[in-house]
Amino acid sequence: MSEAGRAPSGTSSGRGHATSPRVELASTGALRQTMDAYYRSLGDAAERGAAPVAWCSSAGPVELLRAFGFAVHFPENHAAMLGASRTANRYLPLAHAQGYSPDVCSYLASDIGANLAGESPLSAFGLHGVPQPDVLVFNTNQCRDVRDWFEWYGRKWSVPVIGISSPRAVDEVTDADVEGVARQIESLVRPLEDVAATRLDGSRLAAAMSASRDGSRLWAACLETAAQRPAPFTFFDGTIHMGPAVVLRGTPEAAAYYAILFAELEQRVQQGVAAVPGERLRLYWDGMPIWGRLRALATTFADFKTTVVASTYCNSWIYAELDPADSFRSMARASLELFIARSEQPKERYIERMVAFYGADGVVFHDCRTCSSNSNARYGMPQRLAERAGIPTLVLDGDVNDLRCFSDDQSRTNIEGFVEQLTDARAAGRERSRR
Amino acid sequence: MSGHPTGIAAGVDVGTECVKAIVLNEAGRTLGRAVLPTRGYFQACAHEAFMAALDEAQLHAGDLVGVGATGFGMQCVPQATRTATESSCHALGAFHDVGHAMTLVNIGGRDPHVIKVDDAGRRIGAHGVRGCAVGIGSFMMFAARHLDVSPTRLDELASTAGSQAAVVSSYCSVFSGTEVLERLREGATREDVALGCMFSIAARVFEIGGFEAPVMISGGVAEYFPGVLRALESLSGLTVTPVPDPIYAGARGAALLMFREPRVSEGSATSGAAT
Repeated sequence: MSEAGRAPSGTSSGRGHATSPRVELASTGALRQTMDAYYRSLGDAAERGAAPVAWCSSAGPVELLRAFGFAVHFPENHAAMLGASRTANRYLPLAHAQGYSPDVCSYLASDIGANLAGESPLSAFGLHGVPQPDVLVFNTNQCRDVRDWFEWYGRKWSVPVIGISSPRAVDEVTDADVEGVARQIESLVRPLEDVAATRLDGSRLAAAMSASRDGSRLWAACLETAAQRPAPFTFFDGTIHMGPAVVLRGTPEAAAYYAILFAELEQRVQQGVAAVPGERLRLYWDGMPIWGRLRALATTFADFKTTVVASTYCNSWIYAELDPADSFRSMARASLELFIARSEQPKERYIERMVAFYGADGVVFHDCRTCSSNSNARYGMPQRLAERAGIPTLVLDGDVNDLRCFSDDQSRTNIEGFVEQLTDARAAGRERSRR
Repeated sequence: MSGHPTGIAAGVDVGTECVKAIVLNEAGRTLGRAVLPTRGYFQACAHEAFMAALDEAQLHAGDLVGVGATGFGMQCVPQATRTATESSCHALGAFHDVGHAMTLVNIGGRDPHVIKVDDAGRRIGAHGVRGCAVGIGSFMMFAARHLDVSPTRLDELASTAGSQAAVVSSYCSVFSGTEVLERLREGATREDVALGCMFSIAARVFEIGGFEAPVMISGGVAEYFPGVLRALESLSGLTVTPVPDPIYAGARGAALLMFREPRVSEGSATSGAAT
């Protein structure tokens, strides 16, 4: 799901601005190196046979795959690259013509479409398209679409598609839930042993678990720096810098990168450097990024001296409670506790806690047209947060990859109005306190 | 513009269907106004409406403390000293006329909003229609063409409908246009289809939510299609009252803003424009 270190360039249409007042991070150079090395390692595995290749959904059991020595490709990351490079809309019609509706996940459809076109942004890293898998491993904790997506490739290349059918809309995570998912993860071991032609090594699994946990904790620490005023880091920065948290989860490289990023963010905090100079308002983002409009949206908010400080999205790759001593159960618990897998009430409580933690003035809900699983504005949550907790909310219509579902002009008008409303409310509050 | 406030300001609301311009004195009394269809270049339409309003007021641009611009094409008003969002301008314009807190429904040519206005005239919340339902003006023009009436006569046609409005129910304005054709093909009367169009718009707006009494309405639809008000009343169970001269509410608010904040500070939600 990460655009993985390839910052989208240029500006959007509509009333976008040519220059961004945002302050770029010096760590971006190290990020590029880290991501380049990852993509090249995928090429080594797929095209030079250096390792077996597994595909994994972004919230799938990647630690297990690391223990077997698979090189792991994440189709969601690939689809995000298509979105950020604004090529997704070129490929979507090809998948629609194969019977994949414009209403299903535009990650799925653009990725399949790109494959049908024989094109991939990975060619920039020396690959001849996506790395052909030996096995595809999904987890439906995030949505059903990942399975349907993987099955298209499974049929195309006649490779096994295995995975976890996880409960969704989970209220409180129970021991029974954990046990059920843990058994499913365990049941993947035998087929993976067959594909990898090796037995599972417990010590390698424990090492991957430790690496995952360590990388997660550092990534969490980076995100939490945005609680400072002014925030040194934004949601938009996060969508770029989350690359290693997604594609290098379970490796020491992720933690190594986040140590660099965290040091820079700490320095920013100490020096009072704002990611958005002159920060006046702070907002929290719920839902998917709109990859093809990241730069434009970041600039729009920055123009209004508004920092989008954090998101449910970037916070979804925190697996800080993984336990190498209890691998299957702790992986299962992490899988079930994921924000996207939860029911309305825990999600609502979580957003409320995050708004308080980050000192946000309001919440922007992205109602993502082709991703109902990660759109939380459809069952009254914005209204409940506004009425019950007094948290102002804005709903933006859009899509993760399909820019036909997004209007620059309408979005900017709505953002502008929301910022104006929050500014007026703050002024009125100051007026009341003076009286 | 002269550098000295003279107690007179102008507002220009550049909508997708009409450009509205108004000249007010500080008490809010209208000195001149004009409404023109939006055709061709926004800049040319805005200039023409602005000059027509000034002409009616028998004033010159130099007599004004400032010019506020709002609406879809607000960036295209060469004379503007500042721009402001439609919802804040409609809130200000409506509040000036009615003087109390309200739920303000603004329905223009493109993007209807339900706006909460507090008892000081501040906009404290605004919610828009979902993306697919944008383009009400275009929908009405399409319907009028196929019902073979002038757009301004559509409401009159609807007012003579029988008890049953034809069903025009899609949340997408393009699909709704197709439904108009389907109903005509099925033999519905033009009058019933016209009424169905009024209900279609009202339903999309009502779905935005937040209707609490007192409900006021502004914008061009309130001016030209009172049938939509009646449909909204039917759906909400509340009285829906138009503000005075509803089509001018946004321009009026933009002009009134000039007496409060003729220019805008850097980084505000509303932006400075060419002077």
